[in-house]
Amino acid sequence: MPTQDEIFSKVSATLVEALNVDEEDIKPTSTLQGDLGAESIDFLDIVFRLEREFGIKIPRGELFPESIFQGDPELVQNGRVTPKGLEELRAKMPFADLTKFEQNPEVGNLSNLFTVDLITRYIQGKLEKGNTN
Amino acid sequence: MRLKDQNALVTGGSRGIGRAIVQAFAQEGARVAVVYRGSREAAEALVAEINTKGGKAVAFQADVADAASVQACVQRVEQELGPLHILVNNAGVIEDDLFVRMKPDAWNKVLQTNLGGVFNLCHAVAFGMMQRRAGRIINISSVAAEHVNMGQTNYSASKGAINSFTRALAVELAKRGVTVNAIAPGFIETDMSAAVRNKAGDRIAKFIPMRRIGTPEDIARVAVFLASADSAYITGQVLTVDGGLTLGAIAE
Repeated sequence: MPTQDEIFSKVSATLVEALNVDEEDIKPTSTLQGDLGAESIDFLDIVFRLEREFGIKIPRGELFPESIFQGDPELVQNGRVTPKGLEELRAKMPFADLTKFEQNPEVGNLSNLFTVDLITRYIQGKLEKGNTN
Repeated sequence: MRLKDQNALVTGGSRGIGRAIVQAFAQEGARVAVVYRGSREAAEALVAEINTKGGKAVAFQADVADAASVQACVQRVEQELGPLHILVNNAGVIEDDLFVRMKPDAWNKVLQTNLGGVFNLCHAVAFGMMQRRAGRIINISSVAAEHVNMGQTNYSASKGAINSFTRALAVELAKRGVTVNAIAPGFIETDMSAAVRNKAGDRIAKFIPMRRIGTPEDIARVAVFLASADSAYITGQVLTVDGGLTLGAIAE
């Protein structure tokens, strides 16, 4: 099993390639969209490169769940994620730290969840699962 | 040489406009994959001609309407030449008929080849181009997308869709340094337009403000421009190359 630091540095290298950013700009807390300028097509590229780099399979919607962003009225109301939506988010992203988001669950803040650290933790969970299977 | 060391793939590359594009690309220093469906002899003769002149071209068989055939073809091309920088979707067919008499087969064949072929090729190369942050996609459309003729509901629909597809894909790939443009040729001296030219004779040239039918080379020069660094800031455009045919002049 690679250590968290090793995973982080591989994730950083992947983001350098996919987003054309400098390595020193990548911190664990950097958000993909806000800080690193990622757009939808970049997410696709990131997933592809992570799969190759770590030899894992990332099913569509697992790392970057899409359903919550589609404006389902049960999950999102008045621009805020509902309690049911938060539940859904927790279920779909067990690797995400939602404490801060829960304090102000505006849809616009969702993109702040997608940090470099989140990817690192997702990959770590994925690799651990792979080892126990 | 404006395309030195670039790898290009041209569908329908053995004849007509495609052939002229292959020749022009090779002359500008590109390594060219000539993709043909049935005209094997013509493709091999063209490749031989280019290679004797010191250029580099290889012939590959594929049916652009068949996604699996295209995938396999692009894989072989990239194994042989390396990653593709330029794609020209030129392969196209006509099956003209008055609409009320048009068979579903004629509709499907034209849409699957002309439009489906563009999808299949773009699908096979776009992700790689996007990852390498470099690429030129050139779709050969037609003035018939906007200026329709009798008996061409299928052909016009396929070309109109190519123009819209060109703009939509251009937006998706722009950030990644891949440009997507189309060329809309007018009347060009090819086998495809031979029937109309034979029927109408000299009258056609009179409808064209430049008073001449276009040559495949007229189109090929524009394709070189769109494939080269000169057009780096152009994307999602349909360039009409028709000697003024569609300007709509009705009197001298």
